[in-house]
Amino acid sequence: MALVQARGLSKSFRGKPAVRDLSFDVLPGTVTGFLGPNGAGKSTTMRLMLGLDNGGGVTTYDGVPYRELAAPLRHVGALLEAKPFHPTRRAANHLRMLAASNRIPRTRVDEVIGLVGLADVADAKPKTFSLGMGQRLGLAAALLGDPDTLVLDEPANGLDPQGVYWLRGFLKLLAGEGRSVLVSSHLLSEMALLADSIVVIGRGALIASGKIADFIAVSGHRSVVVRSDEPDRLVAELGRREAEVRRLDGGALEVRGAGLDSDAVGRLAFDLGLRILELTNREPTLEEVFLEATGASEEFRASLGIGPGGPR
Amino acid sequence: MTAALRYEWVRIRTIASTFWMSGLAIVLTAGVCAVLAWRIDVAKVSDLTIGEASTWMVTGGASAPVVPVLGALFYAVMGAMTMGHEFRYGTNKATLAAVPGRLAVVGAKAAVLSAWVICVAVVTLAVDAAIVALMLPGVGIDSSLWRPAAEYLGYCVGFALAGMSIAAVLRSQVGAIVTVLLWPLLIEPVAGGIMRVINVTTHADLSVPYSLLPATAGRRSMYSPYTLLSSATGGVDTWGLGESTVIFWVAIALLVAAGTILFAHRDA
Repeated sequence: MALVQARGLSKSFRGKPAVRDLSFDVLPGTVTGFLGPNGAGKSTTMRLMLGLDNGGGVTTYDGVPYRELAAPLRHVGALLEAKPFHPTRRAANHLRMLAASNRIPRTRVDEVIGLVGLADVADAKPKTFSLGMGQRLGLAAALLGDPDTLVLDEPANGLDPQGVYWLRGFLKLLAGEGRSVLVSSHLLSEMALLADSIVVIGRGALIASGKIADFIAVSGHRSVVVRSDEPDRLVAELGRREAEVRRLDGGALEVRGAGLDSDAVGRLAFDLGLRILELTNREPTLEEVFLEATGASEEFRASLGIGPGGPR
Repeated sequence: MTAALRYEWVRIRTIASTFWMSGLAIVLTAGVCAVLAWRIDVAKVSDLTIGEASTWMVTGGASAPVVPVLGALFYAVMGAMTMGHEFRYGTNKATLAAVPGRLAVVGAKAAVLSAWVICVAVVTLAVDAAIVALMLPGVGIDSSLWRPAAEYLGYCVGFALAGMSIAAVLRSQVGAIVTVLLWPLLIEPVAGGIMRVINVTTHADLSVPYSLLPATAGRRSMYSPYTLLSSATGGVDTWGLGESTVIFWVAIALLVAAGTILFAHRDA
């Protein structure tokens, strides 16, 4: 069990702030998703947490900074690069090298290689590995010391759907054993399935942190989807109540605002004598809330005019 | 420090380039030794003792101004790879995650690299001695070998450390290999040649700048007999053996210090 506490992390590159006074916790027994647009500072933050970059602030693992951990691989496992190994050093030798430094038994090398599904290529040179296999080897390295904490930067990169499914189950299993797992990812749908809590940053600053459900709950994206046999009458009545109405494919309406939930819309339709064919409350997705929260903090924006809500 | 040493000891033994660079150093030095043993007519050696002639051969020509010290070039490249791999393949993050102490990482790299180079260079000397014994039966090795052989080991270690440190400064394996090879093979010979031309044409005293060329000083320190050979540098007077050795090692120490400081303070 390890409580990870990041406090006041900051880093600038040539005077331009990349991470600004960032503080958050990663709790034992949880998978914490680390989200942010490209260039938001996620990878820099993770390097700061491991003492790989020089910057302000401190990250402690059960109260101890990374650089002061004795045999750090036994406490914290990290995956920071897509292919963090020499292409001609055999996979098992790469792990044996790491294991030797932290007095991890050689038998553990065979264990983790089997755990990530690379037993058949343990003696192969990683130059032949796909990106997904490289990620698995990096994950094996992170797991080598059976650590309490995992810090993983985009671990699902390059994995096929089966690999992503396996990774999700595997990280949940590790968290279930009481470990603290911090995972950055661009795959928001995957993160919604994987993470218990999230830390959202934009332009290096904290935007939100906490449980995913709480993050979504504060969003204004809740809506009601309703389909009626006379949609025009319903639209007119909703308009009078200053609700925002959007017509969806198939004749359905998406109703937002004016304090209307599905119960209120149903009562309104009943009062108008309309037949209701479909009526549901629609919760926003993590992606929608994320895009809303980070919209102003996107570092690199494409110029096609495509963003949340479709083409503009 | 022991964690870093364990890491580095496995690292250097699990990469193929370590073995083929070491093998090439042994084979090519043996080749030079064999050519010298074949070409030098020991019976006609005039200013040298037979023992000093055999010293030339056993050191693969390092103790004579004959050919570049080929072995040292391979050790220099090995040194550049020792640190350069960390940047070329991004393994420095994995290394520092396993061993967060940066001074320990650099120290372990330097210690293991130096030990490896000394072992390979000693094997080289032994192979060369065997070649001399086989090709020139009866030509013994005398005590004149020990001083140049020790300087030879130091020169090889020095260039390995130079390659390692230049890679740390440049954060580039390719840049380090090019630099550490051009330095003794092109830059200093050209600079020294220009000084000799100036010396001949203007009679200016360039003994100080010439003596301060560090790779040349290191090369010169292996000469045997030193006084005889070091005075044959195109008319430019050079400093003594002790000074030459010190100049070489001061340059190596400065490179190691620069590499260590930058590795310790830069972002990974």
